[in-house]
Amino acid sequence: MEANDYKGKVKPSWCPGCGNHAVLMALKKAMAQLDYKTHETAIVSGIGCSSRFPFFMSTYGFHSIHGRALPVAIGLKQAKPEINVIAVGGDGDGLSIGGNHFIHAGRKNPNITYIMMDNEIYALTKGQCSPTSRIGTTTKCNPYAWTADRINPVLMALSFNASYVARGHSGDVKQLEKLILGGLKHKGFAFIHIVSPCVQYNKVSSFEKIKELVRNLPDNHDVTDRVNAMKYAFSPDGLYTGVFYKTERPTYEERYKEVISKAKQIAGNNVTIKDIMKQFQ
Amino acid sequence: MKDLIIKITGTSGQGIISSGDILSYATARKGYYVTTYRAFPSEIRGDGKCYYTLRISEHKALTATGKTDILICLDEDTIYEGLYDIKPNGVLIYDKDTVNELKENRDDITAYAIPLKSIAAELNSERSRNMVALGIAVEILKNLHLEEQILKDIELRYKLKPKEVIESNKNALNAGIKYAQENIERKDNYDKAQIQSTGAKLIMSGNEAIGLAAIAAGCRFFSGYPITPATEIMEWLAKELPKFGGKMIQCEDEIAAINYALGASYAGVKSMTATSGPGFSLMQEAIGLASMAELPVVIADVQRCGPSTGVPTKTEQSDLFAAMYGTHGDCPKIVLAPMNVADCFYQTINAFNFAEQYQVPVIILSDASLGPRRECVDIIDFDNLKIINREKPQLKEGDVYNRYEDTPTGISPISAPGDLYGEHVITGLEHTQANAPTPNPETHRQMTEKRFRKLETAAGQFSKAKTYGCEDASIGIISWGSTSGPVFEAIDMAKEKGIKVQALYPRTLYPLPTDWIKGFVKNKDIVIVIEANYNAQFKSTIVERCTNINKGTEVIEYLKYDGTPFTPEEIFEEIEKVSKVEDDKHNISTNKHTHF
Repeated sequence: MEANDYKGKVKPSWCPGCGNHAVLMALKKAMAQLDYKTHETAIVSGIGCSSRFPFFMSTYGFHSIHGRALPVAIGLKQAKPEINVIAVGGDGDGLSIGGNHFIHAGRKNPNITYIMMDNEIYALTKGQCSPTSRIGTTTKCNPYAWTADRINPVLMALSFNASYVARGHSGDVKQLEKLILGGLKHKGFAFIHIVSPCVQYNKVSSFEKIKELVRNLPDNHDVTDRVNAMKYAFSPDGLYTGVFYKTERPTYEERYKEVISKAKQIAGNNVTIKDIMKQFQ
Repeated sequence: MKDLIIKITGTSGQGIISSGDILSYATARKGYYVTTYRAFPSEIRGDGKCYYTLRISEHKALTATGKTDILICLDEDTIYEGLYDIKPNGVLIYDKDTVNELKENRDDITAYAIPLKSIAAELNSERSRNMVALGIAVEILKNLHLEEQILKDIELRYKLKPKEVIESNKNALNAGIKYAQENIERKDNYDKAQIQSTGAKLIMSGNEAIGLAAIAAGCRFFSGYPITPATEIMEWLAKELPKFGGKMIQCEDEIAAINYALGASYAGVKSMTATSGPGFSLMQEAIGLASMAELPVVIADVQRCGPSTGVPTKTEQSDLFAAMYGTHGDCPKIVLAPMNVADCFYQTINAFNFAEQYQVPVIILSDASLGPRRECVDIIDFDNLKIINREKPQLKEGDVYNRYEDTPTGISPISAPGDLYGEHVITGLEHTQANAPTPNPETHRQMTEKRFRKLETAAGQFSKAKTYGCEDASIGIISWGSTSGPVFEAIDMAKEKGIKVQALYPRTLYPLPTDWIKGFVKNKDIVIVIEANYNAQFKSTIVERCTNINKGTEVIEYLKYDGTPFTPEEIFEEIEKVSKVEDDKHNISTNKHTHF
């Protein structure tokens, strides 16, 4: 497969210069490297600028409702584990309205990849503060002062026990492709936080500002050390990018296999509805 | 004797429900019909009272209501609550170790004071007091020969528990029987009580019937969140679905639960969720998504008193509006209302068939009086169940596949991830036939009509509305769901008094089968709409939807909203009152009635 084979019927509706174009390109390239078949892949999203993503791909796609990309994606994966499932969305979608699902995705460890495009703003509704907006951001909804602190998505993912946690930014497509490829290959819940500036509604977190802040995680960072990964996620001296954490543990699908095999041990392999009926007789 | 009513009551934590369940299974397996009713608080232990009523009969009984033959009380309070409901010459069994002297009593019943606590204590298992009491009742009803079957049912119920649990329950039952044989001086006549056995029957709860039907219909994915009184559906499916390679997934909340089910349905697997009022409210947005994206999904709402947390363990039929209109926007869906436990099975089969065939969310409205209630169900013919699967597109390389193709039936074939050449994106946004989002006015109009056209196509397929009673009656009753038992019994009572009444139960409430309702109403002078809610939700729907409802017919309402189910007696009283007024042709003017 070539990156171009994943081009969808709908032309990307994002603004020229939007960070999401880079993410779209990076994902297509990573998928091509793994030779993902379009009919065996599903992109699932919620609502927001970045959530329009599935329309721009030639794979199966589910553009659902605000905040619910993860439950839809996990349900899909549990029903058909052989499908490659990628959830995509923004900071408002995944950290505000859908925040609860993020916690439990980490805990369950389904074998899916979750790409969060963080522009630190609600852009589809034309600029209101999001859970990651920086101090000093003013919008029509907070014209005088910003009144709540921002949350830290990478730190959240680490504490929720996501088994692959990485961060990149839209200014570096090459690195993004590498991080996404790592996430797709990873067996378990892979979270990739992508700082993806909005050129229209967020003047505080511009491409230039982000470029100043980013730095690579040191080469000697031990990706199996979760506490150390948290230290980098906490770090006030810049925005670290790269793979923070990576561990292997049974996926939700694998754990459920055990449930099924235990149930079949009791009931036998070819149980019928009439066998089940007997408990009521 | 045609039937016997046994009531086991006490404080929650005393084993009221487990002894009632064991007794109901044993009676059904002995070949008697049994219908039950249970009421319990949501607290596992504490001061809440539990009530388990069993009506054991030769013919199928529709409700478990009526005067009590044998009242078994494990605490003192419920003695005085139940005392005056005992039939003359009935029996009261209570624990003399915990009740010093009865504060109230009746001369026309036999009260047996049994040292239940000491008998259980002698066996070193004070928790088995319930089974000692059951043993006493088994000996009192010795002509029913329940002993052996109850011992088997104890084993079945506790087969996954440590052996000591089975032994202590069995010993307690035997000790109760022995005590009764040796120490009770019989003053009642129940040793002669006999009920003809009519062969083994199925016995299950409404919730179990929904779970069983889901598996029979091909459902292999259930996602849910615990909530009274619907949890039993997910618990039962957690145990049974994996045996078929299916999954029951407990989610972080009800919003996740329905969205998991939608993800699974998109993957091509028949999916469902089950909940009660508060969870049902949380699911509304995703129900709209299923409707817009045209995804099959089944949602069982086991209704309880609302709004908000309401009374979690008590019954109500107050979610009808939420089921029909709870989702924003013009939202095609199907709402079904099962009438009894057996109907829970058949309507759930229908729910999956409709969901698959018409690609809509289908809501099943059960309630707290129906979900947990165990009753006998006639043998199910699994070989002849009609099961429908969604229509798939036949695609080859180069074909253009329009997921939302506008067809004469409104139904467009649906592919799933994994199907070659079937790639498409589904969305809650308005979209073209080729599934591209669009705000185009003409497209929104056309696609809204397409989605609703499916309901017109479906209309001919719905289960016929059930009628009961005299066809030439001038008094009609229209009702829905779990009220059928008491309504049909009340109609029988009226018939005995020479009052002719006919009832109509549509099983599909949305879209409303207006033709059946109009046809039914046409030759009635008066129609009473009976339902368990304050707002007369079904009556107002009927009046609103059947615009040219027969002008000569008066439509009145009879409502109940105290959390308890209707009894045949109160419905009969209402029928009698209406009948008198009809005879006199006087106006009715009580609070409960509205004129049209």
